[in-house]
Amino acid sequence: MKPTEKLLQIKHLKQYFNEGKANEVRAVDDVSFDIYKGETLGLVGESGCGKSTTGRTIIRLYDATDGEVLYDGISVHSKKSKKELKDLNRKMQMIFQDPYASLNPRMKVMDIIAEGIDIHGLAKNDKERKKRVYDLLETVGLNKEHANRYPHEFSGGQRQRIGIARALAVEPEFIIADEPISALDVSIQAQVVNLLKELQEEKGLTYLFIAHDLSMVKYISDRIGVMYFGKLVELAPAEDLYTHAMHPYTQSLLSAIPFPDPNYERTRVRKIYDPKVHNYQPDEEVKMHEVRPNHFVYCSEKELEALKAEHL
Amino acid sequence: MTQQYDKLSPDAFKPVKVNNKEAEQIAKPSLNFWQDAWLRLRKNKAAVVSIFVLFLLVIMAFVGTHLTSHGVDEQELSRANLPPKISWLAPIGIADGHAKVGGKDVDLYAQKNVKENYWFGTDGLGRDMFTRVWKGTQISLLIAVVAALIDVVIGVAYGGISAYYGGRVDDIMQRIVEILYGIPNLVIVILMIMVMEPGITAIIIAIALTGWIGMSRIVRGQVLKFKNQEFILAARTLGASNIRIIFKHLLPNILAIIVINTMFTVPTAIFFEAFLSFIGLGLQAPNASLGTLINDGYKNIQFQPYILAAPAVVLSILMIAFNLLGDGLRDAFDPKMKD
Repeated sequence: MKPTEKLLQIKHLKQYFNEGKANEVRAVDDVSFDIYKGETLGLVGESGCGKSTTGRTIIRLYDATDGEVLYDGISVHSKKSKKELKDLNRKMQMIFQDPYASLNPRMKVMDIIAEGIDIHGLAKNDKERKKRVYDLLETVGLNKEHANRYPHEFSGGQRQRIGIARALAVEPEFIIADEPISALDVSIQAQVVNLLKELQEEKGLTYLFIAHDLSMVKYISDRIGVMYFGKLVELAPAEDLYTHAMHPYTQSLLSAIPFPDPNYERTRVRKIYDPKVHNYQPDEEVKMHEVRPNHFVYCSEKELEALKAEHL
Repeated sequence: MTQQYDKLSPDAFKPVKVNNKEAEQIAKPSLNFWQDAWLRLRKNKAAVVSIFVLFLLVIMAFVGTHLTSHGVDEQELSRANLPPKISWLAPIGIADGHAKVGGKDVDLYAQKNVKENYWFGTDGLGRDMFTRVWKGTQISLLIAVVAALIDVVIGVAYGGISAYYGGRVDDIMQRIVEILYGIPNLVIVILMIMVMEPGITAIIIAIALTGWIGMSRIVRGQVLKFKNQEFILAARTLGASNIRIIFKHLLPNILAIIVINTMFTVPTAIFFEAFLSFIGLGLQAPNASLGTLINDGYKNIQFQPYILAAPAVVLSILMIAFNLLGDGLRDAFDPKMKD
């Protein structure tokens, strides 16, 4: 299946904190990419490289410093009426990283999941509200007895599934999963990732999957974007990224993946990425170039020639 | 060892059927935060006793003033300076109305020909100490309620707004707090009294001016801690309004801290009032507060220690009970904080 319809267009998105001050942080610095309907775009990179900030800016938790996010052609960050905002909130949802911090400890699971239903008035009466919550619990593999319990009574995996149910309550089309599995035990990770995959097939969801676990990202993503210090350095179909890693940072990331094969491990060399290797000149324009079909790399013209020679 | 394993029949190795539904079951009964805290509080003996003592003191403060037929400021010099006399304690020699006068043990009640018993004795003007002590307790409790209200209303709102809106609002509000905090309390009270009559209103205004600062700082810290938690972000992505986030998500989470802090503000305020009354800046005669009663009493401590004893004991019990209850609540709400 080749997804073609662009659901989300991110154009030159910038998110600076403490702008203009000495401690300015360029968390997201001129990032552009598209997300196609029905696909899963993985976003990887080291801690603090701006993956989560990108996700949070897309969903309007932060106001973008500059640039544009178009959802179905509608700008997310422009001024909006309450109704338009609510519509947008229903279409875009988020799953959070820490299952222990993402559920209000003073609310029952029933009210946590029903929060979106309450805000958007999706249930006509209490009975319908209850039924919807029970259905959602069922969808994520919990049972309805759990509705009257408090978050602290659940395990990490169960909590994460409650978080997924909460996001699903408003029937979104697009879900940003902000490292949904990094706080979970490996055995539970598969549970949650498989649930996300099933839901995608069932409901035709589109995911932006933020993670730092490369093997898991490869498993779930159709395309993968690699971020480094606020910039997107490589964007490619999942398979292609692993077989034809072009940007030296991507190669460095891939070289860090351990593999359960002693023979391979013995010869695995950890590549260290040094930004100095590019040796960009001040007059050189560095931007995303399509090296192979659908495979974009952040590089200069000079590097592009070399990459093309090597990979085509 | 290995031989033992050889003897095992292959039948012993059957795959266990795992029921996924069963794996998700939680057996423990569901308790919410407050039920849990109540269970823990009940185990704390000091806190439970404190609750009863406070309950008793509140009842006595309102009932006690009516138990005798004497008014608060009813003077009668013919019955001045009587020691306590309680009929059922008299036979064992305590509170029997006797006092040492000029080295001799004298029954003052017989000497002054007083038929009635004064449980806490009378002061130099013949006023019934029992009535006056409970009247003073009323004032202390009034201060307690006022201080708690000011804490909750002004302190929580100020700290909450400051932290929730953040940025420049926070900067300005915190500078104001710092200025207020820099002025000593006593200076404010003395200034108040220069423009107002000394009395309960002046004390309440003094508490209202600065009493909420501690609470506002604690609430600010808590709101800052919670407002960037993921569950608040989740509510935001669902489109929750500020009102909803504040009342459904923030307040329930900081309520425990608010309650604990109030329990520690109350005794401080009670003591502040008693202290002001003691040094003469608070309530004025003939009104009674525990502070003024103690002030009256300490002048005669060598001859009539009972005038000091009754209000001092009540004030101490009140303070200890509030503090122990506060301690108990803190441990109950946050078991991790217990050392």
